[in-house]
Amino acid sequence: MRHYLAVAAWQSWAVLNRHMVVYLRNWHTAALPPIFEPVILLLVFGVGLGSNIPAFDWQAQNVTYLAYLAPGILAYTVFMTAFFQALFAAYIRMHYQKTWDGQLTTQVRLEHVVWGEALWAATLGLAYAVIVMFVLAGFSIAGWLDLHWSGVIATLPLLFLAGVAFAALGLLFTAIVPTIDHMNIPFYLVIMPLGFASSTYFPLESDNLLAQAWLVINPLHHLAEGIRLLLLSGVWSFHLMAAVLLLGLMILILLPVDLRLLRHRVLGEG
Amino acid sequence: MDVTNRTDTSPLLDAQGLVKHFAAKRVVDGVGLQCRSGEILGMLGANGAGKTTTLRMCYGFLRPDAGKVRIDGIDRVNDPDGANRLIGVCTQDDTFDTDFTVRDNLLRFGHYFRPRPSGLEGRVERLLARFDLARYADAKPDTLSGGYRRRLMIARALVHQPKVLFLDEPTTGLDPQARMSVWELVDSLRQEGLAIVLTTHYMDEAERLSDNLLVLKEGRVVSSGAPRTVLGDLVGEHVVVLDANILQAGAVQQWLREEGIGEPTRILNTWQIALDGAGLARFSAAFGELRFEVRPPNLDDLFLQLSDNTL
Repeated sequence: MRHYLAVAAWQSWAVLNRHMVVYLRNWHTAALPPIFEPVILLLVFGVGLGSNIPAFDWQAQNVTYLAYLAPGILAYTVFMTAFFQALFAAYIRMHYQKTWDGQLTTQVRLEHVVWGEALWAATLGLAYAVIVMFVLAGFSIAGWLDLHWSGVIATLPLLFLAGVAFAALGLLFTAIVPTIDHMNIPFYLVIMPLGFASSTYFPLESDNLLAQAWLVINPLHHLAEGIRLLLLSGVWSFHLMAAVLLLGLMILILLPVDLRLLRHRVLGEG
Repeated sequence: MDVTNRTDTSPLLDAQGLVKHFAAKRVVDGVGLQCRSGEILGMLGANGAGKTTTLRMCYGFLRPDAGKVRIDGIDRVNDPDGANRLIGVCTQDDTFDTDFTVRDNLLRFGHYFRPRPSGLEGRVERLLARFDLARYADAKPDTLSGGYRRRLMIARALVHQPKVLFLDEPTTGLDPQARMSVWELVDSLRQEGLAIVLTTHYMDEAERLSDNLLVLKEGRVVSSGAPRTVLGDLVGEHVVVLDANILQAGAVQQWLREEGIGEPTRILNTWQIALDGAGLARFSAAFGELRFEVRPPNLDDLFLQLSDNTL
């Protein structure tokens, strides 16, 4: 329980504050990728590729590929941002910059460092998702998208929860990859199955039982589908509840495992 | 500095019965130590003796498998925040935050303590001036020389006005001038009432700075107390230095074995043999015709003995 309560400790938020201060110093360059990436993706895939894909039936409604893709990019942005922030950036702070070692000589303990990393990754993921929302709003104003905006603000806590959960997954690999050269392992183990087989970029419908089972337990699938139904139809679906449950479960299971593994890696204990 | 002068003599650091295992190996086995205000405790031992592990248990990096650590009476298990508020830690490796300047490193560290250090900005400026870091205040720490990096590490450990300071090999890798300037800083901190625990491989450093020594071997305390007492306990009263290539080498070795001393410590072409007063008299009687020197023991002798497992 102590591991979970550390989320509310001032030390965890002091760690988050440190990362935010460093990030905001470079905001003018750091903010470019989250703005331009969704714009490019929506233009290249949604508008460009989408112009060659006829509108198709999805959840009893006829949608364009651009409309299908837009909510998926929202979910995918949180996933990728939080996961890679907790993977690459946290690994660099832990291993190369020795930032963690310095923090651990204060009142900050390892559980605070880990929660601080997860909270920061989720914060950044949420911030990038909000930027994507603004981009989608721009597309709506331009008349390229017709989205239901009521209720979307209410998904912000869910996107933050998703950020924490995917950060907890990233920290798992931060704890176990031998060197930074082994970061391709999580790419194949996580990005491929969790990220691509998730209904973010294309509908994943199959009669295969394994594929169906995978979709049932893939939180990103439920997150993407839940936000998509909300944005395209204004419907609060069971996918949102499933996402909350699965993401909460990920946090409950992964955070203590992360802590145990990182205690061994950073402190030599356990 | 701002350390409160204590009038009582109760230890600011009090560790009892510390035990630590890594895998199945018992690397620290019942170590106890104390350090009072205005005192420097030097921890000595060969590599693997358990110095750093003991130190890390004292400053909270590691959890002891058994034993207690109290910082100014606060049990570190029951109140880790309270205990950590009272200690400053300067690790062996540089661990400053490379995303911040020298000044911002000190300021940033102040944010990692509650209650927050009062008058933090003024205190940081005073630390910059005192540690001769003011001219580098806006530089990144990784552009500093080794000596100034150490200064920054020690200054950072003092930002929150701790009562106990842990220094893990603070001068390793520094040139002699930089080492001496660090010694002067450490000595001045002692005079201001900090309790300082120091580990070092430099015997002259331990000898010059330490009020008390704690000698570890294979995870256990083999001697503790004032440096002269420890040397007397572990090395002896005298060290006989003689040419190792003499014709009577075999006879000397035989005599040492009969005396239960074992093999002499060899440094280049000399043997260094630690003896008490009676032993020196017997040696002189047995080898009166030999040319040899007799000198008082120093911590180098102690360290060599510890490393050779000849204690």
